[in-house]
Amino acid sequence: MSQTADVVVVGGGIIGCAVVHALAQQLPRSTRIVLIDRGPIAGATSGSSMGHLMVTPDTPQDYAFSRTSVRLWNELAERVGGFHFQATGALYLADCDEDLELIPVLHEQFRDNGDRCEILDEQRLREIEPGLAPDVPGALFYPGDGVVLPMLACGAMLREARQWNESIEVRAECAVTGFERAGGRITGVATARGRIATPLVVNATGVWAPELAEMAGQPRLPIYPRAGNLAITAHHVSPIRTQLLEISYLRFAHGAAKVDPAGTDDPGGHAVNMQPQSHGGCLIGSTRQFRGMDRTLNRELLHRSLARAQRYAPALKNVPIVRTWVGLRPYAEGGLPFIGPWPHLDGLWIAAGHEGLGISLAPITGLLIAQQIAGVAPAVDPTPYQPARIGA
Amino acid sequence: MSERVRQAQVGIVGGGPAGMAAASALAARGRSVVVLDEGQRAGGQIFRQLPPGVAPPAGVSEPPSHDHGHELIDAFEGAQVELVSGATVWDSKPGRLWFEHAGESHLLECERILLAPGAMDRCIPFPGWTLPGVTTAGALQVMVRGFGVKPGRRALVVGSGPLLLPTVTALLAAGVEVVAALEASSRWNALRALPGVIGNGARLREAMWYMKQLVRAGVKLRWGWTVLRCEGDRHVERAVIAKVDGQGRPRLGTERTIEVDVVGAGFGLVPAIELGLLLGCDSRHLAARGGHCLVVDEQQRTTIDGVFAAGEIGGIGGAEVASAEGALAAAAIDHSLGGPAVSEPLVKQARAERRASDAMLRAFAPLPGLYQLANDDTIVCRCEDVPLSEARAAAELHGRSSRAIKVGCRAGMGPCQARICGPSLQQLATADPACEMDVPVVRVPVKPVRASTIVNAPG
Ligand SMILES: Cc1cc2nc3c(=O)[nH]c(=O)nc-3n(C[C@@H](O)[C@H](O)[C@H](O)COP(=O)(O)OP(=O)(O)OC[C@H]3O[C@@H](n4cnc5c(N)ncnc54)[C@H](O)[C@@H]3O)c2cc1C
Ligand SMILES: Cc1cc2nc3c(=O)[nH]c(=O)nc-3n(C[C@H](O)[C@H](O)[C@H](O)COP(=O)(O)OP(=O)(O)OC[C@H]3O[C@@H](n4cnc5c(N)ncnc54)[C@H](O)[C@@H]3O)c2cc1C
Repeated sequence: MSQTADVVVVGGGIIGCAVVHALAQQLPRSTRIVLIDRGPIAGATSGSSMGHLMVTPDTPQDYAFSRTSVRLWNELAERVGGFHFQATGALYLADCDEDLELIPVLHEQFRDNGDRCEILDEQRLREIEPGLAPDVPGALFYPGDGVVLPMLACGAMLREARQWNESIEVRAECAVTGFERAGGRITGVATARGRIATPLVVNATGVWAPELAEMAGQPRLPIYPRAGNLAITAHHVSPIRTQLLEISYLRFAHGAAKVDPAGTDDPGGHAVNMQPQSHGGCLIGSTRQFRGMDRTLNRELLHRSLARAQRYAPALKNVPIVRTWVGLRPYAEGGLPFIGPWPHLDGLWIAAGHEGLGISLAPITGLLIAQQIAGVAPAVDPTPYQPARIGA
Repeated sequence: MSERVRQAQVGIVGGGPAGMAAASALAARGRSVVVLDEGQRAGGQIFRQLPPGVAPPAGVSEPPSHDHGHELIDAFEGAQVELVSGATVWDSKPGRLWFEHAGESHLLECERILLAPGAMDRCIPFPGWTLPGVTTAGALQVMVRGFGVKPGRRALVVGSGPLLLPTVTALLAAGVEVVAALEASSRWNALRALPGVIGNGARLREAMWYMKQLVRAGVKLRWGWTVLRCEGDRHVERAVIAKVDGQGRPRLGTERTIEVDVVGAGFGLVPAIELGLLLGCDSRHLAARGGHCLVVDEQQRTTIDGVFAAGEIGGIGGAEVASAEGALAAAAIDHSLGGPAVSEPLVKQARAERRASDAMLRAFAPLPGLYQLANDDTIVCRCEDVPLSEARAAAELHGRSSRAIKVGCRAGMGPCQARICGPSLQQLATADPACEMDVPVVRVPVKPVRASTIVNAPG
């Protein structure tokens, strides 16, 4: 089987789906778009992930990037829905003096960006989250965050994209096995079910993006899997109703990390994150470890994060846990994702490496790729995410 | 039980016929044995005992196989075996079984593990199967025989397989009128099993006993019939039934409506292999034995060192297979711990029972047409409330694997972890009843347990 396409997006996780969605919106209806995934759509990291839509105010650039993306999520929820969107806001919890110092810092960052958030006293904390332990020493509430069910969101994006462009082809359970090149540019993709001639390929394969880059004869992309344990409770038993996270999370979860190939415990392992689910259960995460593609459960870390969760929400003690699993965050060197054209091979684009923020950042990522391909002015400055930063 | 960590030479999961037979035999050989079972008393599914103090209804007789059950239970209760009832095993590695008991977290350290966790009901969704009053045949039996509850007044029993008969007699014994008993398989299929049954005295006697009970109560077992849908306002009030062809497809024009307030539906059993998969044991798909079965060798060894398996987990076969395999597993475990070699008669006995049960199960070969009973609005995953239309859409967009269907519509993510919907989900979602199901992916905890149980897990 041989066919032709204008764009082939490789990888049907949240990023690939968002790229297809934005391409369908930005490019003419007649554009032939193929989305291809080795496994199921949403079967890998994006189907194993929490769905916190997080605004990160660290710098004005970060803020504009994440805030625009979360706004796009809100709009998608209003237009199509179907992915259990909840506008919960986020509650940042402190547990020690070091944590308490972070509260005014975060407060100021939101304020500097012209946004609002609230430092909570004991009574306000109880109002917002009655299920919390009485001895939590400090908390900050940011109302702009939300929660989605990422795997259903993948489907919602593709369905809306197909309304805009009926010819979109989604090919699940079919691997890309190689690339065709001629004269310094991409000319086609080889797949398990035949070749596709195309001048444009977007590599949106998350932790596998380096493998795909190698297939295209390109130097290694510095993206490394960073494992996280999650646990889900039964329905209707969640002791909490907002997205909760330890504020200490900000110290190590985001930004540049030291990749430790030996896979030792990195400090992120200690910041707990609790998310109410639309079915009334609670999703509990999430640890951070560099240990390659290993997805076996680290029982010790799981016990530790459940113990931390109980420290904040004591009622969790008697709540049934239904399942646990491990997902692999695609960590990109330097801490920021790669979004844009690959400088060494014309026609090859990259959208990968979003670590623990890929769900939040999917819509803006898709939009930046589509706007750059369409030659439209980008909604946010794309410079910090250009793959050209590699080796710079 | 106060010690949170205990040791035994052999840890057995499941106190049904396989686990009991193995435990008694191991104790007789001087091995220390602990049996962990979720139920409140020994006996497992088939020899389920009423709670202490609850008397069975008067004048109830039992099938001949229950003599064997009483022997097993008596031997077990007389043996030097520790039974921990109400124990939920939720995690395991070779030599270690973590379980929850009375809200506490425990660990059993053992040199050998025997998995004998039995089977689950196979559910095939039809319109109205989620109405209150409609349950699986297995759940009905638990209610009646395990708790002494009378579930209603007028019952319909439908499905396929040898478990329909005990469901009918259990209901009769509880004083419920059984309005109809419908076996979807055709009489023609049944004939294929005849030589196997006639050639096996015990099975023939068993079948005759059941038929006698049905005749005495005026219940006719109808072959080649099934339920099309159940209807009612908040509770089942009536069922529409119809004839089916040799593939299980309903025949138009044969519909009939009957008034009932209880429906027990049992479309066979599925081996409960989760714990084996968690331990890393190999499985294989044997449609005639209920689906994915754990692989065991001629001495009941799984593919993981130190882990043995007996009974339904290696393929549906019934109580006789289970107890024969349990006895064989005991001998093999004893041998692996330095005891005498396994005697040939034990191996032969287990094989003979398997042959006999395989022969009988030929009467109940899978019927692909039954997967056409559900319509777009029929719920396929009860935990997450997923209708068939959404499962179909997921298979169309996300892919045809069980993982794809799961992430595409949430089916199988609820508290039962696909134990109910899993065995029929892929056939339904792909609209391909012949498709071979993927092996389920099992994670800790194998059964839901409290967060504190996980946090406080010893070891
Ligand atoms: C917001 C949210 C809520 C959830 N709620 C529930 C719930 O209520 N109940 C529940 O049971 N589950 C829930 N899940 C989890 C459910 O989607 C899966 O169980 C989870 O995604 C991971 O499961 P698993 O590893 O067991 O997947 P499996 O079913 O085990 O995946 C099968 C195969 O997919 C491949 N694969 C999957 N992910 C990756 C990856 N990241 N990297 C490499 N390969 C991969 C592997 O080859 C694997 O063998 C939820 C998930 C999310 C995101
Ligand atoms: C435990 C955990 C919690 C998280 N919580 C959050 C959160 O709360 N909020 C948030 O914003 N983010 C969160 N994240 C991060 C987020 O999940 C990821 O950043 C995001 O899912 C990455 O998406 P992706 O599309 O790049 O990767 P993936 O979803 O992994 O998609 C890549 C796809 O490429 C396919 N592929 C690979 N090789 C090939 C090939 N050769 N041919 C074809 N296809 C191929 C794969 O099959 C896969 O489907 C979390 C992650 C984890 C692990």
